[in-house]
Amino acid sequence: MFAHLFKLIWNKKKQNFLLMLEIFISFLVIFAVFTMIVYYYRNYKKPLGFDYENVWVIKYNNTLQTSNNDSLSLFYETLKQTIKAMPQVKDITFTSYNIPMSQASSQSGFTHNNEQFMGVNWYFVDDNYKNVLDMKMLEGRWFNKQDVVTKNHPVVINESLKERLFGNNPATGKIIGDARQQDKMHVIGVVEDIKQFGDYVNPGIAVFHKADTSAFHWFGRMLVKVSPDADATFESHLYKTIANYMRNANIEIEHMDNNRKGINTFYLVPVIILLVVAIFLTINVTLGLFGVLWYNINKRKAEIGLRRAVGASGNSVSWQLVAEALVLATFSLFAGSFLAVQFPLLRIFDLPATIYITALILAILFIYLLVLLCSLYPGKQAAAVYPAVALHED
Amino acid sequence: MLKNYFKIAVAVLRRKKFFTFISLFGISITLTILMVLTAFIDKVINDNYPDRKRDRSLYINSIEETGEHARNGGALSFYFLNHYAGSLKTPVKIAIHSGSNATNTYINNKKIDLRYKYTNAAFWEVAEYDFTEGKPFTQRQIENSEHVAVISEDLKKEYFGDMPSVVGKYIEVDNVQYRVCGVVKSVPITNYVFYGDIYLPYTVSKTDYNGKEYRGDYLGILLAASKSDVPKMRKEFEQMVPRIPMSSKDYDKIHTYADTYFTAFVRTGNEEASGVTIAMTAIGVFTFLVMLLPTLNLVNINITRIMERSSEIGVRKAFGAASGTLVYQFLVENLILTLLGGLIGTILSFVIIQVFNSIQPIPNLILSLNFTVLGMALLICLIFGLLSGVYPAWRMSRLNVVTALKAS
Repeated sequence: MFAHLFKLIWNKKKQNFLLMLEIFISFLVIFAVFTMIVYYYRNYKKPLGFDYENVWVIKYNNTLQTSNNDSLSLFYETLKQTIKAMPQVKDITFTSYNIPMSQASSQSGFTHNNEQFMGVNWYFVDDNYKNVLDMKMLEGRWFNKQDVVTKNHPVVINESLKERLFGNNPATGKIIGDARQQDKMHVIGVVEDIKQFGDYVNPGIAVFHKADTSAFHWFGRMLVKVSPDADATFESHLYKTIANYMRNANIEIEHMDNNRKGINTFYLVPVIILLVVAIFLTINVTLGLFGVLWYNINKRKAEIGLRRAVGASGNSVSWQLVAEALVLATFSLFAGSFLAVQFPLLRIFDLPATIYITALILAILFIYLLVLLCSLYPGKQAAAVYPAVALHED
Repeated sequence: MLKNYFKIAVAVLRRKKFFTFISLFGISITLTILMVLTAFIDKVINDNYPDRKRDRSLYINSIEETGEHARNGGALSFYFLNHYAGSLKTPVKIAIHSGSNATNTYINNKKIDLRYKYTNAAFWEVAEYDFTEGKPFTQRQIENSEHVAVISEDLKKEYFGDMPSVVGKYIEVDNVQYRVCGVVKSVPITNYVFYGDIYLPYTVSKTDYNGKEYRGDYLGILLAASKSDVPKMRKEFEQMVPRIPMSSKDYDKIHTYADTYFTAFVRTGNEEASGVTIAMTAIGVFTFLVMLLPTLNLVNINITRIMERSSEIGVRKAFGAASGTLVYQFLVENLILTLLGGLIGTILSFVIIQVFNSIQPIPNLILSLNFTVLGMALLICLIFGLLSGVYPAWRMSRLNVVTALKAS
């Protein structure tokens, strides 16, 4: 039966070519859209890994001209104590520019067992970072005062990096980095991934380094965890305190929950625009497909009448027409899937293969559903053809 | 003749309402998408507020110093722009201004986020902001390091409320009091070169602007005396760059460019890949994809429509109409359909742009359907009509008279 249908479509391949081309391109568009949706959804489902509520970001620039690390350290330590003494402040940390919910990123790489790890997010943090952001330790511990920078300097890695390095084995206590590198890293703990770039972006692999005192030369961010009752009055007081202390610096205070909204919008807007365009294209294709199928079936009234006359039931005729449309779509889907599987095979974008496969399956189902919907009504019309009338027409 | 074709086209359109609807839907929505997109791009790259002398200006937005092991880029220093760009002969004015940085100010227990920008006096002559009151600060005020500020209308509203005039009033920003000397119409954030809420003299900047390093926080605009001097000015800048001494042993080359606004806007900072090519390719691919599917759809629908009219074609052919005449007729019909779709599309885009302007998702970004956009739309319409009409018309003209007549 199916072989017969394939043959029917194949014989009319020249006539159906444009229709197949249209389905083929729609499939590619739908595949791209689904890949994006699946990617965003999977990232969205992952836990955030930290708490952004009541965290304020203070942006500043170091304007102290001293080269003495100790006096620099003393300067910022005093500021830290001043801020921490305020009743609304729960905790404070100094860190590098690549704070969570910001676009700023700092990436580096290292080799381990001759495997290259590129694009590793490189965070420089202090002992309070984990508490301010309420991050979750999966094993080992966070930095503390005893961690002095020795030959193998202590690091905390994130879950994704741990999985790539050690699989399911514990990472605590291991040394990472190859022998020829001078600076090897001693893993003291593993934290849950923190989604630095907002809810919809894969956090990637990350290494947290304990910052030494010289880092104050180039640090530019403070994160402050405040109590829920901290309001604008307190914020202006905090602002004044810092601005008076750091006379030459430019200060800005942001709220991390606003930053989250901002960065999520930044990543969602292009997707929403693409979705709107894709929905419109789909409606367009659906209407067109419907029109063409409808016309084709009307043109074949004589054939349908003949089929009815020799005993085919109305249902079987309409089923045949629907099946024909689906077979037609299958040709396009074959070609489309062939192209689509190149993405995971050639690793065109750095996405896991499962995302592509899920998107591929969803796109195939979607196209079949579309074609089914478009052919159901024309098929039903064909079933209503009276053999006598149809044959009389010719 | 054309009148006849027009009559036939209208009759055909009215006969099969469903197909007409599909065609018009496809054409009008595709055009709407493309038109809103062009309106947006046109606003972002062709808007001439506040730099009305854009065709006489070249923009210096970045510098990159490269060496064997080092590569560092960013905005430029005041010193570099003042000393090196300032030594050029062709430019009549050089505007130097810092990139817009963010800070907060607090008033009546309310927080205001704002962007500040340091400028020199020439900035106000190169960029012609619309002053709703007051005037820009002068060269003398800059030399005296006076704490004066030009603020945007948005900031005025937020900080002072509905006060009629704020010139002479004080505003506190970054813990410093500034006297307002002028208020300007706000610039949308998409125009990042000129965007800001408060403009201050560079001499009151907290960071040292006399440092001799090349990278810093400033951007420059070179203004030529006339449009014809622009290529000469660019050449002079290009010739000057290789003569600049290296700022450090680590570097052996300095890359910096005086570009037109659009090139500067899309410059990636990468030497190998030109930003213009990337931006153009991205827009081109998007447009192609958006147009490809509806076009295919239209071709399919059009084929269906002509096949239905095979008896008419057969009769006309039998009475001696040449293939060319029929192709011509069908193209005209198709163009009428497309133009009708274009009209609906224009109305739709107009509505969408009105909605966009009343919501203002990007503050102060007011889109408009101007003549460029309308012209583009018309062009797109014609391409669309031809693309979707040529193939069906060609197939139709090859129809055999006997088959065509027998089909009915």
